[in-house]
Amino acid sequence: MKSLAIAIAGAAVAALPALGAEDPIAVRQALMDNNGAAAGVAGAVMKGELAYSPVVGKAVIYAVSATAAAYGDFFPEGSDDAARSNASPKIWQDMAGFEAELAKFQDATAKAREIAGKAGPADADAFKAAMGPIFDSCKTCHEAYRLEN
Amino acid sequence: MRWLLAILAAATAAGAAVLWVATMPRGLPRDVLAAWPEGDAGRGEAVFWAGGCESCHAAKGAKGEDRLKLGGGLVLATPFGDFVVPNISNHPEDGIGGWSAGDFADAMLRGVSPEGRHYYPAFPYASYTRMEPQDIADLRAFLATLPAVEGRQPGHDLGFPFNVRRGLGLWKLAFLSDAPAVTLDASDPTVARGQYLVEGPGHCGECHTPRNLAGASDFARWLAGAPAAEGEGRVPNITPGGDLGTWSAGDIEYYLETGFTPDFDTVGGAMVAVQENMAMLQAGERAAIAAYLQAVPAQK
Repeated sequence: MKSLAIAIAGAAVAALPALGAEDPIAVRQALMDNNGAAAGVAGAVMKGELAYSPVVGKAVIYAVSATAAAYGDFFPEGSDDAARSNASPKIWQDMAGFEAELAKFQDATAKAREIAGKAGPADADAFKAAMGPIFDSCKTCHEAYRLEN
Repeated sequence: MRWLLAILAAATAAGAAVLWVATMPRGLPRDVLAAWPEGDAGRGEAVFWAGGCESCHAAKGAKGEDRLKLGGGLVLATPFGDFVVPNISNHPEDGIGGWSAGDFADAMLRGVSPEGRHYYPAFPYASYTRMEPQDIADLRAFLATLPAVEGRQPGHDLGFPFNVRRGLGLWKLAFLSDAPAVTLDASDPTVARGQYLVEGPGHCGECHTPRNLAGASDFARWLAGAPAAEGEGRVPNITPGGDLGTWSAGDIEYYLETGFTPDFDTVGGAMVAVQENMAMLQAGERAAIAAYLQAVPAQK
């Protein structure tokens, strides 16, 4: 599981320089897919379907924090192609509001990394506490800035 | 010739008179209101969350206690024009604090204001009309416990002919009915309870069902998904034939409680406020909604 999550994060980050300039939509979608896969692991832990281990917690937190660091760079003007993207036009109408949501996401992942430390959150409860504010930031950003819900 | 014209004129006048009477705003019959039940504010709170009043009537994005301040002001930009959500707080003049129990029942079940005017069905009385009198009375009692918010909202800004309220009388004759939206096997009380919650107070079909040209729900496509009434995007198909096709009943319950889809995507858009309301209900109510959504006809 650890290697899986790291591989996902690594693949997404490796794709950035190649695609970023020509196709920001593809890059940000790959980043969000990476986020989604990590959230799926977190969800399985929270539902008790996957036994918790600190390395799993750490992999999830580091994957989403990589997305948080990079995600905002892939929304240039004119990349609101509704046929390919669920990004709401509100992102470009209210860039300050969108950036505030990104800052919230980055803040939550930075705090989660602190909790994770070197070894990862010690137990499932510590992991859930670290993930809570991250999931809150997913929801508030999706509430305002994503189409198709 | 002259008598022919006279007959035509008389027939036209008679037709106009019939139309005038047929489109008059009508509240509930007096004998129904005379036997109206007493409301209980404690029970009414659950009706309030099931009905999602504050999703439109509280300030946009309100959280916590602010969800109970129902001063209105949200503008719903639709193809018919801009609807301005009114103040339904307990303020005696600016809100509905001065309303009688009957005024409230007429608004919810018949779409008629205390002044005897038609409301636009942007206020989802086409769903609320299926609600039980006891729930209406309980909801009224709960709303009376909420804060009074000052300030009246401006009127709607609609284009012709939608700005002619009398026309809503025709709309009601054609479309306002408390009959179930879909016919289901009523022997399972959980499904029946879910049907009441979804089709009545929950008014889920108002967004999830496509509308005909007159803006009424297309029952043949019940919950099949629809273009978002405001702006871009689509509201998902929530029948077993659509986006929820692979979800179990437990998945639907978990989503309504926590806002997480089975693969741990989060709820978004206008559904966030709705999900947060659903999270306030008793677990059994969410289970009933899930059972109903698994029982409705699959739509493509």
